[in-house]
Amino acid sequence: MDVAVHGVGTSHFGRQPDRDLVALAWDAVREAFADAAVSAVDAVWVGTVFGPPGVAQRVLRAMGITGIPVVTVENACASGTTAFAEAHEAVRTGRYGRVLALGLEQLSTAFDGAIHPEPTDPEGRAGLALPALYAMAAARYLHLGTATPEQLAAVSVKNHAHALHNDRAQYSGRYTVEEVLASRMIADPLTLLQCCPTSDGAAAAVLGPAARDARHVTVRGVAMRSGQPWDHRSPHVWGHDIVRDTAADALAAAGLAAATDVDVAEVHDAFTIGEIVTTEALGLVPAGEGGKAATEGVTALGGAHPVNPSGGLLSRGHPLGATGLAQLAEIVWQLRGEAGARQVDRARLGLVETMGGGVSGLDGNACVITVLEAP
Amino acid sequence: MSDVTTADPRPLVRVRDGAARVAGCRCRACGEPVAFVWPRCPVCRAETAAASFGPHGTVWSATVVRVPVPGRTAPYGLAYVDLDDGPRVLARVKGDADAPLPIGSRVTLLESAEERDVQVEVL
Repeated sequence: MDVAVHGVGTSHFGRQPDRDLVALAWDAVREAFADAAVSAVDAVWVGTVFGPPGVAQRVLRAMGITGIPVVTVENACASGTTAFAEAHEAVRTGRYGRVLALGLEQLSTAFDGAIHPEPTDPEGRAGLALPALYAMAAARYLHLGTATPEQLAAVSVKNHAHALHNDRAQYSGRYTVEEVLASRMIADPLTLLQCCPTSDGAAAAVLGPAARDARHVTVRGVAMRSGQPWDHRSPHVWGHDIVRDTAADALAAAGLAAATDVDVAEVHDAFTIGEIVTTEALGLVPAGEGGKAATEGVTALGGAHPVNPSGGLLSRGHPLGATGLAQLAEIVWQLRGEAGARQVDRARLGLVETMGGGVSGLDGNACVITVLEAP
Repeated sequence: MSDVTTADPRPLVRVRDGAARVAGCRCRACGEPVAFVWPRCPVCRAETAAASFGPHGTVWSATVVRVPVPGRTAPYGLAYVDLDDGPRVLARVKGDADAPLPIGSRVTLLESAEERDVQVEVL
């Protein structure tokens, strides 16, 4: 059965410690239900990383969603799109008719500052905060001459500028490359403006059978993989190969020859180097040209392959479990022509890529890639 | 990390034949070196045998962490080190963390690492 996204919704993204997860989730679900013109679903998949036990049922009961199957999934930063992938499969196979995928996260109250490295993981225990994991990839790119510091910064400049047109974004601004490079060093060579912020938020999508409907965005293909060993034998930096392989699966499912066939993409730019590696791994740009693409405007709004028109994780914010569905909502709006001043002209095909990490020695906990088509 | 009561997950560094080495295992089938004692090879699922690696290696990449991390005093240097004929390990860099260790640096494992971190210094 062909599956479509019938409606999407999100909360605002940002530090919102005075709001609770019920309020954030309600913002997203209310909008998604109204967008889909539905008042009920048959099952719910929820993605969250640091949400406490029972958080899914706790927020859903407050909006009258009770007595149906509710499943919570965790795949680090890819939790939201993992929930989406499972919801999609449930509709595709006919297990349920209409399914809600919900992502939620409140990091401002979970941590005093940045996310703590996981102490039960060997590298987490050794102090490898997430910026440091990406910094290792960035340092490698700089060492090999695959990217320059200015190219890294260009990703931040671009995505902060995109977010100027997104009133749900946590941050936006017109920065220069020099300002990005001069911001406080977090983990060499990544500076503050090259790192996603601490965010709270929720995002939701209602999925159901594809029908003739001017607002239904068709799911052309979904793929998910968890990482294989990443070690001394790996030819690429962390996270490259899992994105490449998952993209191949998703593009095959969608019947596309290459990622360059899509008109717009939201990808996992938790750190600037992430967007550079990902655009290369997806095949949106040739190997080694991710940084050049950011500098030359290839991946900017108006460029040949616009990436992260929402502002991405860097600017829209990164509430882990909500992020994948926030990316998905952006692509749905783009494909319906509802993205306002950040609209990509005549976008017919869109791609969402989310990458979750945190288990040392693996090339990612999970990567989820979805290809969507305009009504 | 006094609030953590689980077993320490970091690789174990032991002195053998007068040098600090990571006590791990190697796959009996494909030869994959692993910095931990695991029952099966993460690459091919074959059985493993105890093996130790080091003391020398090459820096694959490195950074300096300059943000607060619980139980640590920033800044501190970290490096991914490819041990000679061994696995890639994340190591704490001994000494001042003014700048990341240059990629390609030759390093050696140190014994009795601080907080049981795998620790290295430049040869």
